[in-house]
Amino acid sequence: MSELKIVGKSVPKVDAKIKVTGRAMYADDIHMPNALHGKIVRCMQYAHARVIKLDISRAQKMPGVVKILVPEDIEKYNTYNTGVMDLFAPDELNAVWGEIGEEPIFTKHVKHQGDALCGIIAKTEAEAEAAAEMVDVEYEPLPVYLTTEEASHPDAVQFTPEKPGNVAYRVPGGLFPEGFYGYGDIDKGFAESDLIYEEDYYVPKQKHCQMEPHSYIAQFDDQDRLNVWTSSQMPKPVQTKLHKLFGLPMSRIKVNQTVIGGGFGTRLGLIGEPYVCAMALAVPGRAIKLNYTREEDWVASETRHSGRFKLKMGFKKDGTPVVYDGYMSFEKGGYYTHGGVVWVSGILARGAYKFENFRFDGDAIFTNKVPCGAFRGYGNPQQALCMEQLIQRMCTDTGIDTIEWHKKWHREAGGDPWGFGVPTMNCGADEVLDRGVESFGWHEKKEINANQSGPKRRGTGMMLGVHCSAGFPVLLEHTVATVTLNEDATAIINCSISDLGCGNHTAITQIAAEALGFSMDDVFLNWGDSDANAFDIGAHASRTIWTAGRAVKEACEDAMKQVYAKAAKFLKVDPAELVMEDKKIFTKEAPDQIVDLKELLWKGIYAFMSPEDFQFKFDRGQIIGKASFMPFANNPGWYACFVEVEVDTETGELKVLECTYVNDIGQAINPAAVEGQLEGGIQQGLGFSLTEEMYYDENGLILNNSFTDYKMFGPTDMPKCDIQLVTTEEQYGPYGARGVGEAGLCAPGPAVGNAIFDAIGIQFNEAPFTPEKILKAIKGKGLFPDKRA
Amino acid sequence: MKTRDITLHINEEKYNLTVDANQTLLQVLRSIGSTGTKYGCGTGECGACTVLVNGKTSILACLTLAALADGMHITTIMGLEKDGELHPVQQAFIDRHAIQCGFCTPGMVMKTISILEENPNPTEDQIRHELEGNMCRCTGYEKIVDAVQHARDMMKGETR
Repeated sequence: MSELKIVGKSVPKVDAKIKVTGRAMYADDIHMPNALHGKIVRCMQYAHARVIKLDISRAQKMPGVVKILVPEDIEKYNTYNTGVMDLFAPDELNAVWGEIGEEPIFTKHVKHQGDALCGIIAKTEAEAEAAAEMVDVEYEPLPVYLTTEEASHPDAVQFTPEKPGNVAYRVPGGLFPEGFYGYGDIDKGFAESDLIYEEDYYVPKQKHCQMEPHSYIAQFDDQDRLNVWTSSQMPKPVQTKLHKLFGLPMSRIKVNQTVIGGGFGTRLGLIGEPYVCAMALAVPGRAIKLNYTREEDWVASETRHSGRFKLKMGFKKDGTPVVYDGYMSFEKGGYYTHGGVVWVSGILARGAYKFENFRFDGDAIFTNKVPCGAFRGYGNPQQALCMEQLIQRMCTDTGIDTIEWHKKWHREAGGDPWGFGVPTMNCGADEVLDRGVESFGWHEKKEINANQSGPKRRGTGMMLGVHCSAGFPVLLEHTVATVTLNEDATAIINCSISDLGCGNHTAITQIAAEALGFSMDDVFLNWGDSDANAFDIGAHASRTIWTAGRAVKEACEDAMKQVYAKAAKFLKVDPAELVMEDKKIFTKEAPDQIVDLKELLWKGIYAFMSPEDFQFKFDRGQIIGKASFMPFANNPGWYACFVEVEVDTETGELKVLECTYVNDIGQAINPAAVEGQLEGGIQQGLGFSLTEEMYYDENGLILNNSFTDYKMFGPTDMPKCDIQLVTTEEQYGPYGARGVGEAGLCAPGPAVGNAIFDAIGIQFNEAPFTPEKILKAIKGKGLFPDKRA
Repeated sequence: MKTRDITLHINEEKYNLTVDANQTLLQVLRSIGSTGTKYGCGTGECGACTVLVNGKTSILACLTLAALADGMHITTIMGLEKDGELHPVQQAFIDRHAIQCGFCTPGMVMKTISILEENPNPTEDQIRHELEGNMCRCTGYEKIVDAVQHARDMMKGETR
């Protein structure tokens, strides 16, 4: 590969200036003339109830009220689910696991606190809110099910007739080729094991806490087009889902993606779009703005899947991993949404180590909590938190060096298929571990911490992990990109690429500029315009650079191929001999015979015959490169995380002192952006394992729905982060890049768990590992008694 | 709803406004097009609505009644750029890659200015403590803290 000029450089983000000046237009910053305001009336006092009576007569008389939509008004539309498996997974697979779309826009069966009952349309937001207060609702309270055990009781109220026993989802069997997510003989495996470890874990309900609450605008215009402004991270699938929900032709739905104020999965699929669109369709011609308050974000916007994980593993005395047997049972929340997260958990668990026998089973049971959906990592943080702690216990018990165990038993490149069932072309796990051990000072810290006294105890822990670069082959992967070359030798890329803040718009512009041989200033990416942008599945599964990056690269290469064909014809040479430097095209053999790119493009568009010979100088026509790219590989990035913690054995308080994070990402397109992804992921991963959980009272009402009561890692809590990027060869990703968006979150939790284990000799089965749990365990085991005299 | 007639000086422009008695400064700022100042929580917990009074002191616009801001000189994120030149703090946030989704950025930048007004030479530790009221969910604060240190050094005339 020739030397890279733009890829691999930490250029400033293309959207940095509009964001730092406050001029970036998030959805709530857009003001449409004469807009009306929507407000969703939600059930806030019950988590499970039937609506006996919904009386809107008082609300209708409130000032400014234009219309109120009740369940009867939306019966003409289909029901739906907020997820995207109906689009991203094959029909056969959806049939196996029983994909359903049972959610109505407004419900008469409240399934979680915050469920939507009706919608107010008023002239101002304040008037809509005031009218919402005047809706009178009579409920029949139903038993509240907060655990999977309660909800799956034979006498439990059924959430939907389509899912008997309230089993929303069951991991399917039989459809995939043998060895996909299960293989070998589990019983034989345990019989042959010398060491068997078994634990029952609980993983917490984590909230995205993206800083921008959800906001929308919708307008059904006089050309019968439904225009939607949304910060969805999947604008094209949203367009398709709205088509399915409302029955409008795709040509009559336009999705305008706005600047996104953080996503992390919360904007994956539908959220508020069905409500705002139903309102817009009820008042044709008028724009409707719908803003969620932060309080609504807590009760009516999805969370990470929480639940129990029974994990049993068998090893030989020398550490040989013989058998893995896991059963994950997720608390689904009130609606089906993303049923398949548990399945992906298994796929990712399958990916890391060479167990001789492997089984992963699981389900998701409806509960009366906020529905669980997609969240950065999509099942991987949950399973890794448990598996890596159990592996560490085996290593500690047997005296096996944990670094050596990880090096010996991770999956490898070549014929060894990792989690997604396809062989990976490369694996930098060894290099990742070596770099981490060195940069963190693993052995030095172990030595220093060997002899400790006093109430504060330090410990170190590590983990190894692997995460996908895309959804292939289990989920759809597809991005279409076009590149229009302008007459002045600049380019417009059209591609529906979402940038949640990760820097994808910048990285994609870098890729395009590199592939075209242009400067960054000569390239502009037009995103978020569903009329101009063809299909792209959106931002998820760490897949944007892997798939969309290659789509854009191939579209640029297609454009340049057309350029070279025109130039070759003029110069009467073979196009393969041509090179371009500073937009001058020539052959190495005859560098003085030059075609100027701008002239070639200009005269292709403003094309006239020469008055002398009545010939056109170049072939006529504007050059548009395109690619409809669907990858045929999914090479994961391997990552390792090393942390040091200090536990105060008198109070249970824990401080994370240092965190070294190493990721084998191939070639970073923009290293500073990659570092930012990992640092942000670490903040969320530390929260997942140490502080973050949504708590409910016995009635299913959320107790900590505020940033004060739901504790995230703040600037003083964050450890010193040492990010190390390992660049092993990558043959498939654009310019050798692999996915990186989610890995940061998956790693810190297990490393912290193992560091606590190292510090005080206790492992915890229920995350987050709060000071209360730590102190209780220390007291319960009678440890460090001399320090609390 | 009772109303009040007030005068606000927003980014050196004078506004004579009639506001509802219960309207917050944040609502009023956003209603007159100063949309760079963000609603993140409405309860004073996230800091996305941070603005400056008299160019120095940071306040939370979501917790400030507009009527009580009568006569105040308010600087928002949209008033920092002067003659096409970004404020050094804005430039530092770009240079040090401290911006991801950008939704906390306006509040972070305004808070940083007030931190440096109060103490032109804060340590990293002091910066982290001062930023506790401004939440970011994207960056892990690493590059934000770096940007504040960079701004501190630039504004003192020395660059690290």
